[in-house]
Amino acid sequence: MTTSKPHERPPCEETTPRSGSPQSVRIRGLSRSFGQKLALAPLDLDVPAGEITGLLGPNGSGKSTLMRCLLGLVRADSGEAWVDGVRLRGDGREVRARSTFAPGEFALYGQMRADRQLDWLLAGRDREAHERAHALANELELPMQEPVHAFSHGMKRQLLFAAAMGPRVAVRILDEISEGLDPAKRGLVLERLRDDVKQGTAVLLSSHHLGEVQRICDSMVFMRGGHLLSDQNTRTVLDHSRRLVRLQFAPSTDLARLEAVARAAGAVDMSGPAENLLLHLDDQDPRRALTAIFSNSDLPSPLRIEYGQPSLEELYRELYGEDAC
Amino acid sequence: MERTLRSYLLPTLAYFLLLEAMLAAALLYWPNFEENVGALKAMAPIDLLKEMVDTLAQGGIEAYVTGQHFFKGCNTLGTAAAVLFSAGAVAGEVHRGTFEIWIARPFSRRRLLLERWVTGALAVCVPIFLTTLTVPWLLSFVDTQVPLQPLLLCCVRQSAFLLCIYSLTFLFSTVFDTPMGIALSMLFATSMAFAIYLVKVVTHWSIYRLTDIEVFMKIMDRGELDWSRLGPMIALSGVLLLVSLRTFARKVP
Repeated sequence: MTTSKPHERPPCEETTPRSGSPQSVRIRGLSRSFGQKLALAPLDLDVPAGEITGLLGPNGSGKSTLMRCLLGLVRADSGEAWVDGVRLRGDGREVRARSTFAPGEFALYGQMRADRQLDWLLAGRDREAHERAHALANELELPMQEPVHAFSHGMKRQLLFAAAMGPRVAVRILDEISEGLDPAKRGLVLERLRDDVKQGTAVLLSSHHLGEVQRICDSMVFMRGGHLLSDQNTRTVLDHSRRLVRLQFAPSTDLARLEAVARAAGAVDMSGPAENLLLHLDDQDPRRALTAIFSNSDLPSPLRIEYGQPSLEELYRELYGEDAC
Repeated sequence: MERTLRSYLLPTLAYFLLLEAMLAAALLYWPNFEENVGALKAMAPIDLLKEMVDTLAQGGIEAYVTGQHFFKGCNTLGTAAAVLFSAGAVAGEVHRGTFEIWIARPFSRRRLLLERWVTGALAVCVPIFLTTLTVPWLLSFVDTQVPLQPLLLCCVRQSAFLLCIYSLTFLFSTVFDTPMGIALSMLFATSMAFAIYLVKVVTHWSIYRLTDIEVFMKIMDRGELDWSRLGPMIALSGVLLLVSLRTFARKVP
């Protein structure tokens, strides 16, 4: 993953990536507005081959628009993108031929039998893709002879997942692929995704399920309001989250005094009310700051301390001010 | 393509059978009509219908066949088919929520739309030709005949007319997202157009003037098509298809 910021140079100066290059997806300055509403601010993003990149953000943050623009389903207002060395142009047919896509919001043809629906989803792909997809659908224990209207939401997702995993392509773009799945099926889906990435596929995965993202993603991209907020690998994100300590004090606590003590002991920032205070430390060892707080007789003891969770949730809350799943 | 064909198959078969049933009933009634034409004229409630019965009586079996099959059968059932086969072409996908998975496959949008337009157009027009081909067989039951070739030219004229209605509805389907609304609006508009055909003072405003008995009788008499009307109808369908392609290319999931 490389830097992520509004593009600063003309995309045409970029070297067009070649098939098999480390960057399977390269986006430069892609943007889209719907009327006055900015859906996607110009952004740069690289998705490396052999990695899963998690795309995180609340509803309406631009994740789906980014995916659709990348596939040519929504025409970008500006910017350029390459998928497996092919530049996005026209209606994106060439890009879609080199990638697979599972949309987040979808419906299937209810009267169609599941096996036919799967073949329909794979129209234009080779026989091998059909065979792999059917094998995966069988592994997921989907009743392929049943009409799709008999399927639960989770089963439809699995069918879509099987279709997205069938073709041998360089890039898979999966929007909320595990939403609605039971834990066992979710585990299997993520396992198959991991196996696929080992073959060198690049996956761009949008999800609200932070545990899942943390478990399988190599990098994370945070979006809000169409803007790319942060673009880091998972280790960096978790390292950052380990510098956070959440404290709960009585409401009457002198926050100014508390902040002064905390800063003197290595805190770089303090935010939130006394009942839900967040300390940002300068390293991953909270002992110095906590000792300073406990040993200061002017400050009450905290009612609750949270530290050490692999807290992507904390980071999400910090970025968006709201909880994820 | 396979799914598109399959989804059109049953409705097309139903449309064909209805058209054939109407045609058979009308043609087998010919001896009674010929015998009672005077009484039928007297029973006609409005002047325009009386004139129509006169035209049929003067034109004989040819006028009767074109009037029953094209003016009555194809204009009513054909219009309904043209509207119903196109209203959901794109709007139906949006309405069902399948639009995104439809366009996300590795096909160009142009191909997807043309595939659908062509399939629907064939579904509208082929039954007209097929039912027309059965006219000589049906007329053999009432011991009369009509030359088939001019009847097939009438099919071309009728199909061109219905393609205009089909293409306009198809365009609306690429613009709007509610197939039911599109279908009801178009059916209302075409019903109104058919209704005003029967009102003498405004009959010249009706689009069904383009496919009435007089038009088909000219084709039967001359044995050739009137390209001054047919050409613009085909061109209009082409333009509507081009606009549909442009609209569809920009349609957002």
